[in-house]
Amino acid sequence: MGDEACVTVEKELDRVVSKLEQLHEIASAEIGDVASLMSQLVNVLENAEQMLVTTLNTGTQMNAPGTPGSVDDPMGETVNMQVETEPSAPQRLTESQMEIIRDAISKCNVRVQKLSTEHRDSHGAVSKIGKAIDRNFNSDFSSTMRVDALQDEDNLMLLNKAIAKHYCRQGMDEVARTLIKECKMSDNDAQDVFDSEREFAEIYSIWIQIQKRELTEALKWAIRHSTQLLERHSLMEFRLHRMRFMQLVSNGLESQHDAIVYARTNFQKFAKPYEHEIANLMASFIYLPGGLEKTPYKIFLAQEMWTELSFTFLNDACQLLGISKNSALSVVVNAGCTALPALLNIKQVMQSRQVLGMWNGCDELPIEIDLQPEFRFHSIFACPILRQQTTEDNPPKKLTCGHVISNDALHKLSNGHILKCPYCPVEQNAEEAVRIYF
Amino acid sequence: MSEIKALEHATLKVPYEILNKRFRSAQKIIDREVDQVMNVSRQVEKALDAQQPPILSDMTKLVANVEQKLQVLKRKADESINDELNVTQICKRKLEHLKGIIPRSNGDVCLGSVDQWKRIRLDRLVIEHLLRMGYYETAEELAARSDVRHLTNLDIFQTSREVEDDLANHSTTKCVLWCIDNKSKLRKINSTIEFSLRVQEFVELVRQNQRFEAVKHSRRYFPAYEKTQLNEICHVMALLAYPADTDIEHYKKYTDPKRWEQLVLDFRHENYRLFQLSNTSVFSAAVQAGLSALKTPQCYSQTCRNLNCPVCQEDLNRIALKLPYSHCVQSRLICRVTGKPLNEHNHPMMLPNGQIYGRSALQKITKEDGTITCPVTNVKFTKPKIDKVFIM
Repeated sequence: MGDEACVTVEKELDRVVSKLEQLHEIASAEIGDVASLMSQLVNVLENAEQMLVTTLNTGTQMNAPGTPGSVDDPMGETVNMQVETEPSAPQRLTESQMEIIRDAISKCNVRVQKLSTEHRDSHGAVSKIGKAIDRNFNSDFSSTMRVDALQDEDNLMLLNKAIAKHYCRQGMDEVARTLIKECKMSDNDAQDVFDSEREFAEIYSIWIQIQKRELTEALKWAIRHSTQLLERHSLMEFRLHRMRFMQLVSNGLESQHDAIVYARTNFQKFAKPYEHEIANLMASFIYLPGGLEKTPYKIFLAQEMWTELSFTFLNDACQLLGISKNSALSVVVNAGCTALPALLNIKQVMQSRQVLGMWNGCDELPIEIDLQPEFRFHSIFACPILRQQTTEDNPPKKLTCGHVISNDALHKLSNGHILKCPYCPVEQNAEEAVRIYF
Repeated sequence: MSEIKALEHATLKVPYEILNKRFRSAQKIIDREVDQVMNVSRQVEKALDAQQPPILSDMTKLVANVEQKLQVLKRKADESINDELNVTQICKRKLEHLKGIIPRSNGDVCLGSVDQWKRIRLDRLVIEHLLRMGYYETAEELAARSDVRHLTNLDIFQTSREVEDDLANHSTTKCVLWCIDNKSKLRKINSTIEFSLRVQEFVELVRQNQRFEAVKHSRRYFPAYEKTQLNEICHVMALLAYPADTDIEHYKKYTDPKRWEQLVLDFRHENYRLFQLSNTSVFSAAVQAGLSALKTPQCYSQTCRNLNCPVCQEDLNRIALKLPYSHCVQSRLICRVTGKPLNEHNHPMMLPNGQIYGRSALQKITKEDGTITCPVTNVKFTKPKIDKVFIM
């Protein structure tokens, strides 16, 4: 998928993250550092004042032992505060004290400004993310849309209905109900939503349960439809049993008995097609005492296995019931997601050749969209001669030799009544070609 | 162009815009606090540079001041940088999800996980569409049910929901706050939303017959727009001269309560522009492209509909009416009985009435006595001549 584009953006993002983390570091370490230096200074200054007050109070003048003002300074400076003891005048700082404070202040100024500038400098890195997103991702769909198609109220309401049906189908009735309320859907339409196919809801709720690693309902369903599943060579039932079995095994020694009983009751009917695999599964008992974590069996219980299992269930169950596993909405949107990149690509070509908009006035898309086979619902016959789709006015015709071409091509190729098949040497009467239906 | 490249711009751009906004507000906060520190540190320097050495107790206070401001700076810087880092985490999570499909070692990807990923994408796209339509409740509920909240832009739209609700209640307060909050950005995209709000406030004052208040209001707010909106200002001011329920077409449009609804839409529009989202959702683009890619002439013919085909279903059929058909240069044929492709493994065969089915389907519908009933036309044939058909 779009790895390369994501990687580019991620690279820029990582750059910003590391930059911010660095800034975070600066903020807490360096600013914290000067803050504690300041607080030490304050301490020392207060001590000095205190000392002075004490000296004054005790009346001892002069010869007061040089008040110890040295502190363990993280900045590696010794703050030495000599208190001058002149009782009458307010106490003033000495030269050396002033020097120390001056140093500390200038350090503080440098640090805080550095924080601000460095943060500002990271703006470049931040805006690079935005540029990377704009450069690597498409943001403009105007060329691939018809403005009028999804603007008018009626169509929007129809779309709401399709959304409501989609969630109703998955058993999320509350979502559908809230939407119906919020978009003020008419009662008729709302009724229609809830009348739409409900069979799927059961399958879907089992699907959810499998995702939550709960197999009971799924197994019940599979056993109920066992014969039909076997007819279709579905892997589903065996895989469900396999998972249940591994769940038991993973419980360790205490479930040993249960696991063996489970295997004996459930694996027998799969002995033929899965002989090898059953042997493989049973061998897991060797590891039972030590747990499966460090064994090759670990993979059986990995998240992907659950995802795949739920997918197999959904797929096979829907096939069996003859219902589509995807709602109309999801088919349309997923087809659209396949189509849009191709349409956006062609847009660039069309613009460079100054062709008019691709949606205006054309009744066909400019290119063929390569959809998965499961999204193909109708036969399309494109005339191999004229390279265009057949229509009601220009239907496909089978020549007597069995080759099929469009009616227009047939007229172009025939000379009077005589037509030579473009693919084989047969000459025939053009009138004898038969209209066919796919 | 890959699907992710084509479709996921908004998924990443919105959190980026938030990061950018956080960045700017963090810068503002840091700058302000740095200024504070510098102010007090300057006072210290001034005291030190004075003719007389400073007094001890004064100095203690000044230095304590510096310390205190530094602590504030530290705390605020810490908070706002953490804020930014949090937003980068949102971006990161979304990127991780987009990169999410891990190819197996042998090159192909697990069908189940791809299916799962597409399911989540559909939910994401629908939620975005619901938000754009203003169906917030549904969007919330869906996000909670399918557990995709962290992959959507719901949180951002939460604010816009509040603003919209406020506007719907005929109040401009929250929207004005929003305008102030995003002032520089709005100016950059030449937005007139704030002006529209001010006009609305003016109109409301006129409606309540507080014309002096209205004049005051206009004096306070309109001059800022005189360069660009002078014409409209004049029109609006003229309202002062008419009764609130005026019938004059030109002025009626201002006093129409519908103008509030328009404001809601305008606001929504400006909000998209702010986040550089295009006006149309990816969802609607995908729906259109998808309908077109699936649309065939058969979807509109009475006889050839296929119930599994989305475009053949009534509602989508009507939406697709104006959209172009899919384009096809290579024939691709599907048997109408089995749904399987017609090719060399399942050769297309023609019944005498011109209907084509696959060989395997014909085997299935041929009765033991050799009769075949055409599944589409219900015509019965006894041991018909079946022709092989060659599709090039």
